[in-house]
Amino acid sequence: MKNREEQLVQQMTHSSARYYAWLALLGAAFLLGLVAYAIQVRKGLIVTGLRDQVSWGIYISSFVFWVGVSKGGTMISAILRVTNAEWRSPMTRLSEAITLLALITGAPMIIADLGRPDRIWNLLRHGRIQSPLIWDFLSVMTYLTACVIYFYLPLIPDLAILADDTRFPKWRRTIYRTLSLSWRNTPEQHQLLERAIHAMAIIVIPLAISVHTVVSWIFAMTLRPGWNSTIYGPYFVVGAIYSGGAAVLVAMWALRRAMHLEDYIQAVHFRKLGKLLLASTLVYLYFNINEYLTVGYKLEGFERDLVESLFIGRYAKMFWSVQLLGVIIPIAILMIFLLVKRLKRFSVGAVGISSLFIVIGAWVKRFLIVVPTLETPFLPAQRIPAEWTHYSPTWIEWAIVAGALAGFLLGYSLVAKFFPIVSIWETREHEQAVEASRELRQKPTLSPARTIAITLVGLLVLLCAPSASAGTKPKEPPKSASVTLSYQVVEQKQETPVATGTAPGTIGTLENPFANRRSHEEVAIPAVLVLAKLTDASGAPLAFKPMSFSVRTYFGALSLGNRPTGADGVAKMKITDHRFGAYAVSASFSGDDIAAGASNSLEVTAAPRPAPALPEQGMLITPYPTFWITLPFALFFGSMWGVFVYIAFLVRRVHKIGIMKGSAG
Amino acid sequence: MAAFGGTSLKSAARAIMQSVLPARSQAPTNQKWVMVIDLAKCDGCRDCTKACNKMHYVPPMQEWIKVYEVADNPAAGEYYLPRPCMHCDNPPCVRACPVGATFKRTDGIVIQDNDRCIGCRECIAQCPYSARSFNWGEPPHTPEETSVPYSTDRMYPHRKGTIEKCGFCPHMLREGKLPVCASACTMGAVYFGDELEDAVTNSKRETIQLSKVAKRGAGYRLMEELGTEPRVYYLPPANRKYAAPDQSAKLVQIQPARTA
Repeated sequence: MKNREEQLVQQMTHSSARYYAWLALLGAAFLLGLVAYAIQVRKGLIVTGLRDQVSWGIYISSFVFWVGVSKGGTMISAILRVTNAEWRSPMTRLSEAITLLALITGAPMIIADLGRPDRIWNLLRHGRIQSPLIWDFLSVMTYLTACVIYFYLPLIPDLAILADDTRFPKWRRTIYRTLSLSWRNTPEQHQLLERAIHAMAIIVIPLAISVHTVVSWIFAMTLRPGWNSTIYGPYFVVGAIYSGGAAVLVAMWALRRAMHLEDYIQAVHFRKLGKLLLASTLVYLYFNINEYLTVGYKLEGFERDLVESLFIGRYAKMFWSVQLLGVIIPIAILMIFLLVKRLKRFSVGAVGISSLFIVIGAWVKRFLIVVPTLETPFLPAQRIPAEWTHYSPTWIEWAIVAGALAGFLLGYSLVAKFFPIVSIWETREHEQAVEASRELRQKPTLSPARTIAITLVGLLVLLCAPSASAGTKPKEPPKSASVTLSYQVVEQKQETPVATGTAPGTIGTLENPFANRRSHEEVAIPAVLVLAKLTDASGAPLAFKPMSFSVRTYFGALSLGNRPTGADGVAKMKITDHRFGAYAVSASFSGDDIAAGASNSLEVTAAPRPAPALPEQGMLITPYPTFWITLPFALFFGSMWGVFVYIAFLVRRVHKIGIMKGSAG
Repeated sequence: MAAFGGTSLKSAARAIMQSVLPARSQAPTNQKWVMVIDLAKCDGCRDCTKACNKMHYVPPMQEWIKVYEVADNPAAGEYYLPRPCMHCDNPPCVRACPVGATFKRTDGIVIQDNDRCIGCRECIAQCPYSARSFNWGEPPHTPEETSVPYSTDRMYPHRKGTIEKCGFCPHMLREGKLPVCASACTMGAVYFGDELEDAVTNSKRETIQLSKVAKRGAGYRLMEELGTEPRVYYLPPANRKYAAPDQSAKLVQIQPARTA
């Protein structure tokens, strides 16, 4: 067994020409992506295929994809660690590396999508906790920090091992030595490190679930057909386990061949992880059926267009290919090669190929989540050229997305070269444990059901997480007349429903069943009774003349209609409108043969204008963070960062013990 | 039970909303702007769009007030539907903006601040009315447009990589003038006014009572069922006097709750 460690170190110290060629190829692709991004920054997003109707494209779908892939490491490493599945040890490091690098690749995809990347700091300066994008920012940053810690902690003992290995050049040994925090492999250090790793393994699970849920919420928090779905959170989590698990298997398959790690990564690992992948693919299939059957069955108005475009329309080929090649066929392959005993020896290739299918399918599926919904909005664009309403990515977008993939592979190739991609100390420990318990023959397998149960428990954790002046205006020939205005505020009579003989417990017919749906209560405004007295020059009332009333408004005058003056010369106008604040009511008499026209106006106040405020209907539109929305986020992310601080404390103790031992020994 | 949930939610909302607002959220006047569009009067001439485009130097391929050709069902026939920003009272765009680049003012206007916008387009994804556009490239500039400093009132000069939308012409309202789409409508189909005055006025200086016209005219708001609480009311396209849109054009079908 020692020789497999030799093989691993050999791979780390010796690089073939093929390795350098591979690096050069990836470097070139990555540079092309950077050039494409530089062009995009200079000219703006006009260089992409994105337009007003389809405003998100392969940048966002790639972001979702990479975040999904990052789940792989957590699944293989953290869940298997928490459940004490000892066989995991050769795969933990390589899957943790996937998690870390996939996140580092995914997060910039959002920046590639921004119209103003130069203003990214506004997220910190003006961030609003009400926005799903800020949730994303918070959880991706927290998860990234967790992944760095979680990648680093189990690396410490290996770094100490490598620092003592004279086959490495001096500079590398110096780096390993510094990073190993003077690890001496004492029982105390061991215990502290185990505790730190275990704590991280536990919190990385809810964090991973939170990241995938929150990513789904960018979509699910909108009203759009297809996105407006309650299933999106768990759907994305399951989708992430499925694509992330497949990504880990693809990496295992590739590394095993490229680095000749057959002794570490054995067929049995492919079979075990393959079964886990099969289980998550079946769950994913179940979620797909749930998601599309419910909309496809009802064909509700706005969703009908989306369902049509996916099932039989523009995206049908893509949709059915993904379902077939990314879900059904992998399930079939996995079932045949894992469950039929006679075909066992083909399991590595079978699992590898179906994983590759799943990874590609998962990327296309993310595209199908983002684009078709945007192409079928509530109000489809009209009189606009087709390239503004239908999306096809441009070479710039492909170059950036491919550049990101190249960057990921490049990073992975370098990490695999610089750090032991298989955990040396953990596999050693596992070996010892296996030898010690060989006669006991315990089977430390993890059932898929248990994985799902843990995922669901994590999800549950998340759920806790949401003038009355008498101005006379005399006119020419007839008699001059004047209007005197006064008003009184009269309480409006409340209409009380007449008690009809309804049976007890039933709702009266006068009650409005939709009343509760009204978003704001009607403020009762007292009616205003405007009295306009029309008199002639001598002060005698002019009876039975038509008076017209109007209200002066901000932009014009609202006519209220005519009322005749009574025998006393008074015309009464009762205003029952929903009008607040002081307003001018004018009464005018247009004049006739007997009396000349006259008018007057009066400032009236029935109810004061309500104080300026934001509308009550908008609960989450406040410009400041409100208590109840901040609380769950503060609790969740606060506790995560609390654990990080605890880990830092443990690591410091490990370091101190190492220094003490070093000076003593 | 519903009453209990309703009132407690409302009082909670009130408690939240009446905190001190930042200066930019406080409108210059204590008014609540509201628009009423009489679909029976709209003849689809798009004078509103043209006037708006001209006044705000709207970049090409954008229409802040867009006139759709709509058919709700085969029997009811087609009509024109001018769509400005709805200035919702529960605006999804404001809710989801990560940096507060779009915000609600106390006079009901949803403002877009392109000094702050980071161009993430979450608001485009959020808006069910497709009322938002994006400056994909550098917008073409004219000397008149760039002669003034940027303000959220005028909404220009335009910038690359930011969001554009209708803002109910706040600079016109300050001067006591109607928004340009309302004043440019030769049919007098677009009414605008202060909800607290219960009156709206059109280009012909006809002032009508909002509560009355909404009640008697069966006024509705676009996609009422989404709960966005728009500040734009439509009067149904009943007894239209003008020709319906060309049937050969591709029509939009919208299905609000009023297809019956």
